[in-house]
Amino acid sequence: MRQHNKVEVKIWVKSVICLLLGIIFLFPVLLIVMNAFKPNGDILSSFLAFPKALYLDNFNQAMETMNFWIVFKNTVIVTVFTVLAAGTISFLAAYGISHLRGSISRGLYTLFVFGQIIPFHTVMISVSVLATKLHLTNSYLGLIFFNSGFFTAFGIMTYVGFLKSVPLELEEAAAIDGAGVFRTMIQIVFPLLKSTTVTMAILFFLWTWNDLLLPNILISDGALRTITVNLYMFKSATNAQWNLLIAGLVISMLPIIIIYIAGQKYITDGMTAGAIK
Amino acid sequence: MSDFLYKKNKKFYFLLVIPALVIYCVALVGPLLIGTFPSSLYNWNLIKGNKKFIGLENFIKLFHDEQFIHALLFTILLAFVSIILSNVVAFVIAFALDSNIRGKGVIRSFFFIPNIISGVMVSFVWMFIFTNAIPNIGEKLHLDSLAQISWFGNTNMAMLAVIIVTTWQSTGFLMMLYVAGLQTLPKDVIEAARLDGCTGLNKIFRIQLPLLMPTVTINLFVSIAGAFKAFDIPLALTGGGPSNSTQTLALNIYTDAFGAFRTGYASAKSVVLFIIVAIVAIIQLSMTRKREVQM
Repeated sequence: MRQHNKVEVKIWVKSVICLLLGIIFLFPVLLIVMNAFKPNGDILSSFLAFPKALYLDNFNQAMETMNFWIVFKNTVIVTVFTVLAAGTISFLAAYGISHLRGSISRGLYTLFVFGQIIPFHTVMISVSVLATKLHLTNSYLGLIFFNSGFFTAFGIMTYVGFLKSVPLELEEAAAIDGAGVFRTMIQIVFPLLKSTTVTMAILFFLWTWNDLLLPNILISDGALRTITVNLYMFKSATNAQWNLLIAGLVISMLPIIIIYIAGQKYITDGMTAGAIK
Repeated sequence: MSDFLYKKNKKFYFLLVIPALVIYCVALVGPLLIGTFPSSLYNWNLIKGNKKFIGLENFIKLFHDEQFIHALLFTILLAFVSIILSNVVAFVIAFALDSNIRGKGVIRSFFFIPNIISGVMVSFVWMFIFTNAIPNIGEKLHLDSLAQISWFGNTNMAMLAVIIVTTWQSTGFLMMLYVAGLQTLPKDVIEAARLDGCTGLNKIFRIQLPLLMPTVTINLFVSIAGAFKAFDIPLALTGGGPSNSTQTLALNIYTDAFGAFRTGYASAKSVVLFIIVAIVAIIQLSMTRKREVQM
């Protein structure tokens, strides 16, 4: 019994140490959140103290100055449609590639894998020239189009990898039962790849939501900005007023942290799976 | 049967690939092959509009461009230091979190959150720490040297700031990969080692670390490829300054292309970045593939 208690105490001590380490690690973020509830004077004089009262003026002012709801709407539209478009075309193409045979299949696969090694920074100049020619600047469509194009390389590679594990007999059985090829693809095969789809959706979501570069290049109209670019621009608009900047920072972080907490397991699994592939 | 199905549906399969193929080629492959590569051979200023073929002159110029060389060196320094620091820290934390403790999930999230928020957010969080928190602590402790550090006015300190923030952001992600790797290690081998009296640091360095080498390899290459694309943090944190000391390759290309509009010259830099990242990625891919065969 005493032995058992000793082990128990050891586990708790270790847990508390790890928790403290975690809090220290995340302390910069915690400090930001705490100080967002203070008037500017208090931030500069005593940033370590807890807020005296729940002071919400910073948030009201920051949300107004940064047009938060418009920017939030823009980001949601661009992100949702990018995830849908990139996910759909990746799945369709991967299905096609994994069912085609011979050199066509191999050639297409290699072409898409090649995209994995192209860093966006090497094409950003050409993309901005091209977007101007195609009238895709200052539009949601431009962001959705280019994002989808960049993401398909990763999407197809991942989907093809997992499609290999779906037995062909299953599809043949469906065909014998009278299902057409389209129905087999949507109703039989697609549901089997649920975890791949979730992983991919999360990655596409985070990449689009957090992107600074593409929206910075394609969007000059302030009313069409996404949340990350907007926060970047907000810094110069606040004139180094820390109370406004950190309130804006907290508001900008909030959606992604809420989503993270809601889908924690999938997000960590998805991101780690994505890195290994 | 399956041959019959294949013949019947071949066209359909091919049609499925068309949308992805078109968007992918227009958005990525086209800009690289028809845009970036040829542009790098021109003396081309987008604003002035002149465009003159000069062959490899841009590339020759690159070797004498101090700012570019510095960006390349800083990128390598940032990659080198942040990769070592973040991998070591991630490794230690992953080990601590792999042992039998309570609240693993919550603690892991604390380390992971910097990784899901954008580089801009991460930079602004730390800007507050560097410009307010640290000087304030310095004053309270009467440590003038700490209070008076000019993080963004001094070349070395600005480089250090970029390294600290980059390391902080990437640690959580690498930790997760190590945790995942540790969970796949064969339990019986570790148990046998423990029974033979191999515990503590001995167990970590002689048993677990060698078994974990595939994960270490992947982590190193994931972080190297990531480091060469470093952009958001230096842009949001220091803007590349002071006097271009914290410009990474990607940021150097960006300022040259969208600040000075030297389209041709910046394209030549892009080609160099492409070659570097491609080499790293090919090594990484072949290593992952080798590992797959072994498994």
